[in-house]
Amino acid sequence: MLEVRDLHVAYGPAPALSGLSFELRNGELLCIVGPNGAGKTTLVNTLAGVLRAGAGRILFDGRDITALPPHRFCGAGIAIVPEGRRLFVSMSVRENLDMGSMLPGAKARRAESLEAVLALFPALRTRLAQPAGELSGGQQQMVAIGRALMARPRLLLLDEPALGLSPLIVRELFVAIGRINDEGTSVLLVEQNVMLALRIAHRAYVLEAGRMVADGTPDELASRDAIRRTYLGA
Amino acid sequence: MSGFALPSATLLAQSILSGIFTGALYGLLGLGLSLSWGLLRQINLAHFAFAFLAAYLCYQLAVLGVDPLLSLALIVPAFFALGAALHAAMARFSITPLNSLLLTFGLTGIVEAVIQAIWTADFRKLESAYGAHRFKIAGLFLPVPELITLLVAVVLSFGTWAVLHYTDFGKTLRASAEDAPIARAFGINQGRNAWLLAGTCSALAAVAGVCLALSFTLAPSQIYAWIGVVFAAVMLGGPGRALAPLAAGVVIGVSEAVTMAVTAPSWAPLVSFTLLIAILLLRPGRVA
Amino acid sequence: MSEGRTTSGPVADHAVAADAISAARRLPHAPIAIVGAAAVLAFLPALGLPAFYDSLLYLILSWIVLATSWNIFSGYAGYFSFGHGAFFGTGLYTSATLMARFDWPFLWTLPAAAACACLLGVALGAVVFRVKGIRGEVFALLTLAVTFVLGTIVGNTPLDGGSGVSLASVPIPRIGPTPPATFYLLALAAATLALLLSWRIAVSRLGAGLFAIHDDEDAAEVMGVPTFRYKLAALAISCALAGLAGGIHALFLNYVTVGEVFTIAVPLTVVLMSVLGGTRHWAGPAVGAVIITLLLYSFTAADLAVAGKAAVGVILIAAILFMPDGILPRAQRVFPRGKRPPLARAAVASEAPRTPAPAATVARGDVLLRARGVAKSFRGVRALAGVDIDVRRGEILGLLGPNGSGKSTFINLVSGRLVPTAGSIVFEGRELTRCAAYRIARAGVARTYQIPRPFRHFSVLDNVALAAMFGGGGAAEPAAARRDAMTWLAFTGLQDKAHAQPDELNLHQRKFLELARVLAARPRLVMLDEVLCGLTASEMDDAVALVRRIRDQGATVIFVEHVLHAVMAVTDRVVVLDYGVLLAAGPAAEVMRRPEVITAYLGQPYLPGHPPDTELAERPGA
Repeated sequence: MLEVRDLHVAYGPAPALSGLSFELRNGELLCIVGPNGAGKTTLVNTLAGVLRAGAGRILFDGRDITALPPHRFCGAGIAIVPEGRRLFVSMSVRENLDMGSMLPGAKARRAESLEAVLALFPALRTRLAQPAGELSGGQQQMVAIGRALMARPRLLLLDEPALGLSPLIVRELFVAIGRINDEGTSVLLVEQNVMLALRIAHRAYVLEAGRMVADGTPDELASRDAIRRTYLGA
Repeated sequence: MSGFALPSATLLAQSILSGIFTGALYGLLGLGLSLSWGLLRQINLAHFAFAFLAAYLCYQLAVLGVDPLLSLALIVPAFFALGAALHAAMARFSITPLNSLLLTFGLTGIVEAVIQAIWTADFRKLESAYGAHRFKIAGLFLPVPELITLLVAVVLSFGTWAVLHYTDFGKTLRASAEDAPIARAFGINQGRNAWLLAGTCSALAAVAGVCLALSFTLAPSQIYAWIGVVFAAVMLGGPGRALAPLAAGVVIGVSEAVTMAVTAPSWAPLVSFTLLIAILLLRPGRVA
Repeated sequence: MSEGRTTSGPVADHAVAADAISAARRLPHAPIAIVGAAAVLAFLPALGLPAFYDSLLYLILSWIVLATSWNIFSGYAGYFSFGHGAFFGTGLYTSATLMARFDWPFLWTLPAAAACACLLGVALGAVVFRVKGIRGEVFALLTLAVTFVLGTIVGNTPLDGGSGVSLASVPIPRIGPTPPATFYLLALAAATLALLLSWRIAVSRLGAGLFAIHDDEDAAEVMGVPTFRYKLAALAISCALAGLAGGIHALFLNYVTVGEVFTIAVPLTVVLMSVLGGTRHWAGPAVGAVIITLLLYSFTAADLAVAGKAAVGVILIAAILFMPDGILPRAQRVFPRGKRPPLARAAVASEAPRTPAPAATVARGDVLLRARGVAKSFRGVRALAGVDIDVRRGEILGLLGPNGSGKSTFINLVSGRLVPTAGSIVFEGRELTRCAAYRIARAGVARTYQIPRPFRHFSVLDNVALAAMFGGGGAAEPAAARRDAMTWLAFTGLQDKAHAQPDELNLHQRKFLELARVLAARPRLVMLDEVLCGLTASEMDDAVALVRRIRDQGATVIFVEHVLHAVMAVTDRVVVLDYGVLLAAGPAAEVMRRPEVITAYLGQPYLPGHPPDTELAERPGA
């Protein structure tokens, strides 16, 4: 479904991704793990159109989307849950969710999508009119995921959803993410918390300094030294 | 310096009413400026020049026999197009808010020169059927032009508020102003939204200009007289909001009017500018 | 006659000539040019031209004073003020009042005018500069509002009373052959003063600090620039000069009104002149003043005053869009001034860069920095929750932890960029906790930024020289600081890039520039924030070697990093933070094996085939 070939992305003079290649199959929940500075957020932002690739190709369902203008990525079927959530804090929860469904296709099914999101995250039902900035971290993350789901994406990108949240909330979120994938949406999950990510993934890649250094199923990776070495240096 | 003189109740009430009317015009002028500053991150000093240009055009059409309110049908679309075109031209350069201030000052100079070239520096007064009428209620005078201005200001302010809060377009504008890259990631075409908004702000300036022409005498130098007090109104309420300029404008208008009634007219500017300074010192974050 | 030199013959003559040339080169050109030009122009009235020329030239010179004085604060430091009309007007009315009401002789009112304007500026600055967030367009509008408030007050009180002040009966001193000539000569003197001050500030330490404030005020403050004092000083000088111009103008006009000065016209004209000519150059505003005044005059003379306004508008727009730096820098690029080599090159030619001698053996082991109970919350989010950390003299301490654990917050607290919500930080026995950031820098603390923040408009050499001037080392004057800077650039291997702009460097070079800046401040504590991020393997090795050499120079290093093999290789001890709490401290290899640290980084252990969490596990496999 998603194929990335030899992707090069830079922040000014700093190369963040250097010749990255990987693929994600339809219906899969793929995890990309790696320490800070490895380029995980850069990758997610490039796939969502927030950043522009310097070289390489991104193919989505066979269609080359690398050179699309930023606002067309969502229409192609990709929705992002950014690092740090990046909600529109002055707007209400309902308005944030609406923002996810501004494109014609999603807009037509807005009511239906809203029901689905509220079924997934019941805690939001009573908070629809509240300004998003007043919610707790975990609730904000629910809104961020909900906002992306409102776009009815074929591929959901999640950038470190567990960041800064307590273990209990994180577990709830990851259960929800698993459910989203079960219902047919492909998921690309980027996480620093390796073990948690490995528990719901079908496959995973390990990213270090802008390059993939290992890949495989969770079982394969957990028993290998690659992860240990990358994270703990020993 | 004239000393303090407590005016009669009727005089005070008339002053307050007059302040409300003037404040409504401050608010109407401030609406376009506020939207442009808050949602487009451009401080458009030329807003005032455009308002005056529209005012002069309205005057000219009236001289040719066109009713001022009907002339809106011509003037508003024309200025919408002007604003959109100007924005499209400026969008090629990335301009900081401070630079937009300087640039639009240059534009103001050009527009002022054009106005003066066509209509000279003499004072011009629009003579219309509306100007001749006024209502009298409970001993207070309500001139029709000012009433029209108040009505227009209220309708447009509430209308803008409704658009910003109840329509999808309004929501995308607010979201883009808050976090443009993420709004884009959800499919918002900011380029198109921007020139639509710029055109609307221009159109709002034009409407304000027509109301100005109805009530006030026009002269090119007068463009600058409004800048300070309208900026004060915009900042008092915070840029990017629909109802705030009107509310703040009325507060300033009434304060000025009461000051004028109690002391002397020349003290009036002190009110708005002191308020402005106070706001900037106490809450600079809300403005930036 | 120095030793070792032949006393006669062509070689000796050449040596003597070379000495004379290098001596002449050491004399600064600018002030000589200014004073020389002024001396020549002073003879103009003697030519007996029609009075009209004296008046026109007076106007040009008066605008030169106004624009140059505006630029000293607003152009150099980047705080665009729209209040210059207020200071000009204050000077104007001070002079007018003293002459009309108190019968002061004209010339005595001038210092008073300058003083009053200066006081107003200092009072304004003392209030406004203390409020964080008043910059850019907010500052511009604030100063404009002050102008109108002042104008209203003046117009409504006996100072003016709405009717203006007449100075018809005030005698004009006979400095020149005619009254217009007198004003011309006074304005010439004022313009000379203004240009000399503008030049002197631009090449001094004050100027360097102001330009740094322009590029990045926060980084400047953390580097040791006393931003509040410098801004106030520049504003005071700027206002004093504007007041002086106002004082002279009062008698020139003969009849002063509020509408003449307390308007939007004066500040906007002044901004236009400076922006057009170039705000970073001491002579830029003067160039702009001459061009604009002549332009406006020629339009007025041709009865096209209105078109003149439009032309000015067009020029302003063109300048903002196409020449945002102004005319002078553009001209300098077209005609590079190759004659005068920068002092730095002279320094390089005369002395090869020496490796700085390591400091005397440091007393390792005693505590250099002691943080106790340090906590920081932002709007309900607890970034640090009561952390105790000891940093020992001479060690390289690694500061580790997952994303969001509070590492950067800790560095920001120690460097003074943030104030702790609770706790204390003691450095070499001194309480740092509520100190201004520049004082902390002077005390010997320096830091780098994860994303390098060089000062954009300064060359690589000058970036480092700034740190030498304002950091704990205290090489006071620019020339000495540049020599120091050259040595540090050589130390980090950047000497060939000394005259490049930071934009031209790649990431590796920018990181080394940050390191050179840190070194130039000769700090005793260095905090490196993810300095290896984004580097290739071999670049990382270079950086790690440099970190060791920094410690060998006598500094203690706090090393925030994620690249763990580097941490293992170079640190003596590490401290691990997690969710704002201290998790572990000790030697790196030992700490990274502790279970709580592993869990913090990786999560609960995942055992292949036997996941303990059933809900998560019940998923269709790949």
